[in-house]
Amino acid sequence: MKIHSRQERGAAVVELKGRFDAHEVPDVRKALEGAAALASGRVVVNLADVNFIDSSGLACLVQAMKHCRERKSDLYLCCLQQPVRIIFELTRLDKAFEIRASEAAAIEAVQQP
Amino acid sequence: MPTPKLRLAIVTTHPPGKGSLNEYAFHFVRFLRQKAEVSEVILLTDELPPGESYAFEDRPGLAPILVVPCWKFGSMTNALRIRSAVKRANPDGVLFNIQFASFGDGKIAATLGLTTPPLVKFAGYPTIVLLHNIMEMVDLKSAGFAGNPVIEAVIRFIGTQVTRLLLNSDLVALTIPKYVEILEKKYKAQNVVLAPHGAFEETPTPSFALPAGPLQIMTFGKFGTYKKVEILVEAFKLLQNGSRPPLELVIAGTNSPNAQGYLEGVAERYADVPNMRFTGYVSEEDVPKVFGDAAVVVFPYTSTTGSSGVLHQTGDYGKPAVLPHIGDFAEVIAEEGYGGEFFEPDDPASLAAAIGRVIDNPERRRELGTQNYVASRGLSISDVIDWYVLHFQTLIEQRAKSKK
Repeated sequence: MKIHSRQERGAAVVELKGRFDAHEVPDVRKALEGAAALASGRVVVNLADVNFIDSSGLACLVQAMKHCRERKSDLYLCCLQQPVRIIFELTRLDKAFEIRASEAAAIEAVQQP
Repeated sequence: MPTPKLRLAIVTTHPPGKGSLNEYAFHFVRFLRQKAEVSEVILLTDELPPGESYAFEDRPGLAPILVVPCWKFGSMTNALRIRSAVKRANPDGVLFNIQFASFGDGKIAATLGLTTPPLVKFAGYPTIVLLHNIMEMVDLKSAGFAGNPVIEAVIRFIGTQVTRLLLNSDLVALTIPKYVEILEKKYKAQNVVLAPHGAFEETPTPSFALPAGPLQIMTFGKFGTYKKVEILVEAFKLLQNGSRPPLELVIAGTNSPNAQGYLEGVAERYADVPNMRFTGYVSEEDVPKVFGDAAVVVFPYTSTTGSSGVLHQTGDYGKPAVLPHIGDFAEVIAEEGYGGEFFEPDDPASLAAAIGRVIDNPERRRELGTQNYVASRGLSISDVIDWYVLHFQTLIEQRAKSKK
């Protein structure tokens, strides 16, 4: 999996590319922790190029969201492909996460107090 | 936005109670108390026999626990008593850790007990049912619930109605994707959710070494309904006929609440079989040794009722599994990454051969043990509990919005 992090209008954007499964969790966790520290917990995870996510990947995102919320901020997801969206719906975590259709919308939303 | 801490109630069996799902509850409650989002856990559990009592660790970092024994296996009044207990405790949400026979072995007691989740929901509490099996996947004959096709049809009909009742809860959580699919299709359910079983953490990385002495072939569980050890004893007799190092058969666990006296009957019937040991009830502190000493863990199941806690423990301890060729179990293996040797459920020779492929080949034993260990590390029960906490938070937020 490829992981790319950048700053965008005060938010940390983490782009993931490829399969997101148990093997990738340590690297993604590290990237998300770093992003949350840089942007005071305002994190956007762009999943546009993630074609598969398993329960370990979901758990990793849940942990990251919890950490952001502990910082009184939030973690937003954006650009979910259909197979990934189905997993979020199956686990009903789509109700727990803030999910936006585009990266721009997610960045804008994560800035809101 | 900061979310208020939750007081969560859980309706379940729990050790030292010996009802089914007690071990899952033990780990679930243990980790639930560690969550920063939880301010109190209210355990609405079954009444213990005289002389036994519930005991819990109390230390900083753990949410306090209030234990309320308020129901009894087989009682007809469980639903009303639990609802009253919920009202008195007034939690923010109620989780039911149940399966179809959680509240009784009799059809009426079992059914009445399963009316509890909707009763609690209609009393105004966010309610999640963690349902470990679904009626559509239970082999009623093997589970000891049906003797003839008419009775089986009646029970299936009742099971369908009970499932509809349970679906009146806010959410019904299932541990296998296929179960979610079945309930969504058959019942047009919109409120079923996948929540994986999760691994019971805190087991050290296995060494794969075995103790000196005979190789132990172990089976673990509550026996007598769909877990039958006769086929395993027959297979063990076949294995002992071969030119192998000494073997020991360890039958670890108790009778199912639905099959009192079953293991005693097996012990009597096979009194002449050497090197066979019945451990009786295995307390939590003895579980690591029972699994750690085993060369292989055998699942002599005639049907299945969901993702197996014993399979997850087998993975935790890095042990190989020998499993029946049952569709549901095979799916668990495939979906969760576990490995094992398979046997035909009614064939002792097939079981003996499957066990032989593991115990006669240390490399295969280690390979399967490693595979199961890696699979069990996939998602911890602590992670799964985070999902439940999120679901409760979402339900509470939704209720608050709908009241405005």
